[in-house]
Amino acid sequence: MTAIWSREVKSYFHTPVGYVYMGVFLALSGVLFDVQILQQRSSDLPTLIGQMSYLWMLLCPVLTMRLMAEEKQNHTDQLLLSSPASLPGIVVGKYMAAVTVQLLTVLLSTVLAGIVWMYGRIYPMELLTAYLGLILQGFAFIALDLLMASLAFSQVTAFLMAFGANLLLWMLDMVSGSVSGPLASVISFVSLYVRNEPFLMGQMSFASILFDLAMAALFLVLTVYGMDRKRRRGAHL
Amino acid sequence: MLEVRHLTKRYDRVLALDDVSFRVKEHQVMGLLGVNGAGKTTALSIITGCMPPGEGQVLLNGMDMQEQPRACRRLIGFLPEEPPLYNEMTVEEYLHFVCRLREVEKTEIPEHVEEILEKTALKDMRRRILGHLSRGYRQRAGIAQALCGAPPVLVLDEPTVGLDPRQVTEIREMIMELGKEHTVLFSSHILTEVQQICSGILILHQGRLIHEADMSGLEDGAEKQTYTMVVLETEGDVPAAIRSIPGVRKVRGIQRGEGRCRMTVECSGHGDDVRVRIFHLLSSMNAPILQLSAQRNSLEDVFLRVTGEGEAKS
Repeated sequence: MTAIWSREVKSYFHTPVGYVYMGVFLALSGVLFDVQILQQRSSDLPTLIGQMSYLWMLLCPVLTMRLMAEEKQNHTDQLLLSSPASLPGIVVGKYMAAVTVQLLTVLLSTVLAGIVWMYGRIYPMELLTAYLGLILQGFAFIALDLLMASLAFSQVTAFLMAFGANLLLWMLDMVSGSVSGPLASVISFVSLYVRNEPFLMGQMSFASILFDLAMAALFLVLTVYGMDRKRRRGAHL
Repeated sequence: MLEVRHLTKRYDRVLALDDVSFRVKEHQVMGLLGVNGAGKTTALSIITGCMPPGEGQVLLNGMDMQEQPRACRRLIGFLPEEPPLYNEMTVEEYLHFVCRLREVEKTEIPEHVEEILEKTALKDMRRRILGHLSRGYRQRAGIAQALCGAPPVLVLDEPTVGLDPRQVTEIREMIMELGKEHTVLFSSHILTEVQQICSGILILHQGRLIHEADMSGLEDGAEKQTYTMVVLETEGDVPAAIRSIPGVRKVRGIQRGEGRCRMTVECSGHGDDVRVRIFHLLSSMNAPILQLSAQRNSLEDVFLRVTGEGEAKS
C-alpha cells in the first residue's frame, strides 16, 4: 500500500495534474479571499473556508480521474492485481495519495490565514475547526469521486461522472430548503454541506466528524466491491 | 511447482475455460498454445491471481492461490501481453517501485535492481523515461518487472508479439536464459518460437486442454516418422525393397543419379525403430547408406492435427 501511495503522490507531480489542482484551488481561493476578506475588510475566515469547500465539487474529480483510468490505459492494472497487494490495499493507497495532495493544498492555503493574522485578528480554535471541516469534507468527496472513477473507462468519463455526482449532492442540498417532511430530513442528514455547518460555527461536532469519515469509508468499501466484481468478470480494474 | 486443477471460467454464457488441469515442473519452460480466443489469456490471468477462477485451483508449491493469494503472488512474475509500464517513470524508478510492490526488503532493492538491469541488458537505459523507450526496450522493461522479487515462476503472455525480427531473437534468447533459473509458462501462437524455446507444450482449444506433451514427445508420440535417405544403389531396387519392410508406410520423392538414390521414407511412429530393419536390409543388399536423417515432426503438424480433432469433437 505504501508503495502505491508513494508512486501516486510522485505521479501527481511528474504530470501537470498535481500542479493544476493546486494552482486552480489556490487561485480560486485567492479570488474568494479578495472578495470576502480584502474588499469587505473582514477577518471572517470561517466563512471564507466555507466557500472554499465548494471548490471540492470541481477539483476533487481532477485528483481522482486518473487514478483508475490510467491503470487501464497503461495496462498496469495487471501489474497491481498480480502483485501481493490486496484490492483494499490498492484502493486505500490511491485514496491516501489523493488525500495527501489535498492536505498539501490546504496547508498552502493557510498563507491566506497568515495574511489575516498579520493585519487583523484571528480566533485559532475557530479557524482550526473550520479547516478540519474543510479537510473532512474533502476526504468524503475524494472517496465518492474515486468510486465514480472506478466505474468509468476513461479519464474524461471519470471526471464527468465524479463532477456529476458532486453536483447532484450540491443540488440535493439546494432543494432541501424547498421540500418539507421526511424527505427534507433525509436530504439534510446525507448532505455533506449541512454536515459542515457546525465546523464553520466553530463547533467541534463529533457527529459530523464521524459522518464524514463514515461516508469516506462507505465509498471506499463500495469502490473495492465494484472493482472486485469487475475483476471477477475479467475486466481488471 | 505450478499445478492447475480443474480450472473452469465462464463469462456470462461463454465458457472460457473448461476443466483445465496441468502441471509445470521446476525449471521447465512450458509453452501454452492456442488460436485466438482459445482461453490462453484467461488461463494466465487466473494463474497469476489477476482474476479468480469460477471453479478449480491454482497451486504454487502446494499453496492455493485462492487461500493464500499474497504468498502465491510473491512466487509469480507476470508479463502481460502489453508490458505494464508507467510512462512517466524512468526504468530504474519503475523497477524500484515494482520491488516495493512485491515486498522486497528496502535495503536489498538497489542491489536487486542492479541484477535485473544486468540480466535484461537495460543498464544503459536505467535513466530513460519508459514512455520514450522503443517497443523492444519496453518489452525488456516488462520482463525486468516480472523478475522483481526473484519469483521462481514466470508467466509470459505473448512476449514477442509486435517486435521486429532482431528484437524477437533477443527476447527469445533472454527467455531461454531465464528458463535456467525459473519455471516459465509462456503463451504464444508463434509455433516455431515455442518449438525453439519450450521443453513442453499445452494446447488449449475452445477453453479445453486438448494436448499436453514434452517437446521430445512430439516425435515419440507422433503417428508417423519421416526420414530422408541417400543410398548407394549397387544392385536391386532399393526403394521397392524398403517398401516391403514392416512399418514402412510410403517411400516417396525418389531421385536417382550417379549411382545414388535419394528418397523420403515415411514410417509408422509406433513400434520398433524401423531404421534398424532398413539398415539390416540394405546391408544384405550391399547398398551402403550415405545419409539418413530424421525429419522432426513440426509442431505445426501436431497443432493443426489436435486443433482439427478438437474442432471435430465439438
